[in-house]
Amino acid sequence: MSALPTSTTTASACWSCRAVTGGEHFCPACGKLQPLPRSTDYFAFFGLPRKLRLDTAELEKRFHQLSWKLHPDHFVREEAYERELSLNRSAQLNDAYRALRDPILRVEYLLAREGMRKEGQHKQQAPPELLEEVFELNESLDELRGVRRAGGDGNEMAALRAKLEAAQKNFQDALATVDEELDGIFGQWDSALDAGADEAVRRKLMERMNEVLNRRSYIRNLLANVQSELAEA
Amino acid sequence: MGRVVGIDLGTTYSLIAYVDRTTGEPRCIPGPYGETLCPSVVSVDPDGTVVVGEPARRRLLTQSDRTIYSVKRLMGRGAADVQDELKIFPFRIDPESQNVIRVRLGERVFTPPEISAFILRELKGWAEEFFHDAVDRAVITVPAYFNDAQRQATKDAGRLAGLEALRLVNEPTAAALAYGLHEKPATAGGLVAVYDLGGGTFDISILKLISTGEGDIYQVLSTNGDTHLGGDDIDNLLQSIAREEIRKQFRFDLDSHPEAVQELRRALIRAKHELSAAEATTVRFPVPAGVYVREFTRAELEGWIRPLVERTMGPVKQAVADAKLAPAQMHEVVLVGGSTRIPLVRRSVEGYFGRRPHTELNPDEVVALGAAVQAEILESGVKNMLLLDVTPLSLGIETMGGVVAKIIPRNSTIPASAQELFTTGVDNQTGIDIHVLQGERELAKDCRSLARFQLKVPPGPAGLARIEVKFLIDANGILQVAARDLHAGEERSIEVQPSYGLSDTEIERMLEESIEYAEQDFSERQLIEARNEAESILHVTEKSLAQAREEQAEVGDAERETIEAAVAAVRESMAGSDYKLIRARIDALNQATLPLAERMMNRALATALEGKRVEDV
Repeated sequence: MSALPTSTTTASACWSCRAVTGGEHFCPACGKLQPLPRSTDYFAFFGLPRKLRLDTAELEKRFHQLSWKLHPDHFVREEAYERELSLNRSAQLNDAYRALRDPILRVEYLLAREGMRKEGQHKQQAPPELLEEVFELNESLDELRGVRRAGGDGNEMAALRAKLEAAQKNFQDALATVDEELDGIFGQWDSALDAGADEAVRRKLMERMNEVLNRRSYIRNLLANVQSELAEA
Repeated sequence: MGRVVGIDLGTTYSLIAYVDRTTGEPRCIPGPYGETLCPSVVSVDPDGTVVVGEPARRRLLTQSDRTIYSVKRLMGRGAADVQDELKIFPFRIDPESQNVIRVRLGERVFTPPEISAFILRELKGWAEEFFHDAVDRAVITVPAYFNDAQRQATKDAGRLAGLEALRLVNEPTAAALAYGLHEKPATAGGLVAVYDLGGGTFDISILKLISTGEGDIYQVLSTNGDTHLGGDDIDNLLQSIAREEIRKQFRFDLDSHPEAVQELRRALIRAKHELSAAEATTVRFPVPAGVYVREFTRAELEGWIRPLVERTMGPVKQAVADAKLAPAQMHEVVLVGGSTRIPLVRRSVEGYFGRRPHTELNPDEVVALGAAVQAEILESGVKNMLLLDVTPLSLGIETMGGVVAKIIPRNSTIPASAQELFTTGVDNQTGIDIHVLQGERELAKDCRSLARFQLKVPPGPAGLARIEVKFLIDANGILQVAARDLHAGEERSIEVQPSYGLSDTEIERMLEESIEYAEQDFSERQLIEARNEAESILHVTEKSLAQAREEQAEVGDAERETIEAAVAAVRESMAGSDYKLIRARIDALNQATLPLAERMMNRALATALEGKRVEDV
């Protein structure tokens, strides 16, 4: 581990030939790699619109094309400054690809970027439609721990295990439903972008996405709990 | 600028390779003995002369206190990390060691990167002799599962050996690269699992080979492993079994006989190798009260090593799951590392993937060959092949309550980065402490500490400061850190104190010190070693002839004449300065004395066996 060398600030003129550049990866005049503006959007990095139902095959193709152009291996013989640009750019490329290829990370990135991702206050509350099941689950978990403390009666354990497995199935279904719902909003978001919808419409969609994401993370936590209890049982 | 090479710096053996520009094929460079494998063994003479490779390995038997093997196990580790290894390996760790281990070799003390640098310098010498040209840059391979400190230590070793590490490449990835050259049509667009069980480390990598208009991309999807699992562990296991049996049978404890321990180790390693082809083999090992004669069967060996082989399957399953694939989806499975010659290992891998693994390439050489391919890509600017590797471990920072917040997940394609914003918690706080870690566990205490540093902030109300820290893992898998004060808009480099490893000043000092070793020219050193070896073999020959006379063993006139002529030839070559000639004459003398040596060995064995029978009665 070492300290990074100090990097440069954004330039609108090519550092090598002084031609005017507009934030492209390479100078349109001399073809030299350019420093990336600090605030570059991951979608823009790939030259893609900010749609959420992304064509992942197309994304992967662009990722490979850009890897060819930006990877440090292809700058080994260039001067230190360009080598550093390549290092930073390909790191950003990989960061961007990591965030965009996964639908959940993708929407989280978009919301964070727009200042619309708010996890906070509602996180700990069970979604109303799951209240009953969560209540049952907590009961089963308490019972299970009780039986285990008492030394574990075989029949009781088996019955509880079956209950937990049923709960697992329920939460897996709930997760699938939430993912479908999220994908539905993705579709609405993409159409809204195509239709040139205004700020208010977009904000409303982002608020809904945020709400669904919070619900999703609640269910995922429940599922993780059940699974770790099952693994122990 | 000099030549560029690929180096496999292994636990047991190290190799150096290059790409032959006329054929485009990678090849290993042979050393002075014509062997491509250089034992990763280093020995230091009282006068400071360093001996590396085969001659150093021979010294394990005679000068074990100034000789070291398997130093790779110590790279990038602190004294507290290696307590378990010390019970098994005869490392003499300096008591002053803390976050960098210091090993005692005779009168001197060295760090693991310095010892590895001796091996690298030896290989560099082989290549320079071969090319008649300087070699100053190299691609060096590391286990895929090496952490930041272990990678940095490897890079430091290169620097100390006068080799700029152009790139550190993960061993399984290098193997895929070497292998891909031969099998490209079959695997294009395919998924490849590389199972690499070496002397001291185990790695598994899952790769995707993609053909694009520009060329082929080798994209690593996931990797996993264990940096302390390998053939060494099998050797240790056999050793402890044999020592226990010897203790019971002969009431003889090898603990206070380090030379005998090494000799037993060699015999057992030979037996292990033989059991890969044969169903049974017998080890004969003389001890003061007789001879330990033991038949080992393959079934027996498999019973002992099954837990070790099973330990590799955990990382294999995790890597396949992380790649979001099923084992049957692999198009190819490649075996790398000497320990994959073991039939049980082959069966286990084949059983899991449901596919016969590839073993066409020499598992000892394939990593070095791949490193040479990557070196050639970097050097020649050939842009029709690209490696996209991943970081094996998640990077995180310690937060409240000792919990780790992951900022770059494992299996992220490298280079990779993450920005984190830090602020103050109380009024007029002047510094923010940051602790960087690597690992998958929840708590900081269970992860590997990489570094601690403090961000200086101007005094002010709590929460006012805005310091952005950028963590970047480069294409070698090594972390770099930079901080930026968002208020002042200024970029600052920060003093980062690594938790393990050498500081820049320490490396500078070692570089100065190492000049005395570098000054000994390679061929000069070879000459000294060859003469030393000639001296000792002449001595041994004289002794055996004298002993033969004493025991009135028959040495025929013809035989005696042959031996005397060979002795004279060795003496004559020693007067000159051609180390290769000296070596050739030593070999000839060895040949000439072979029948005599065998007869004397049989006699000794017979006496010992007789002695045993008398005792049994």
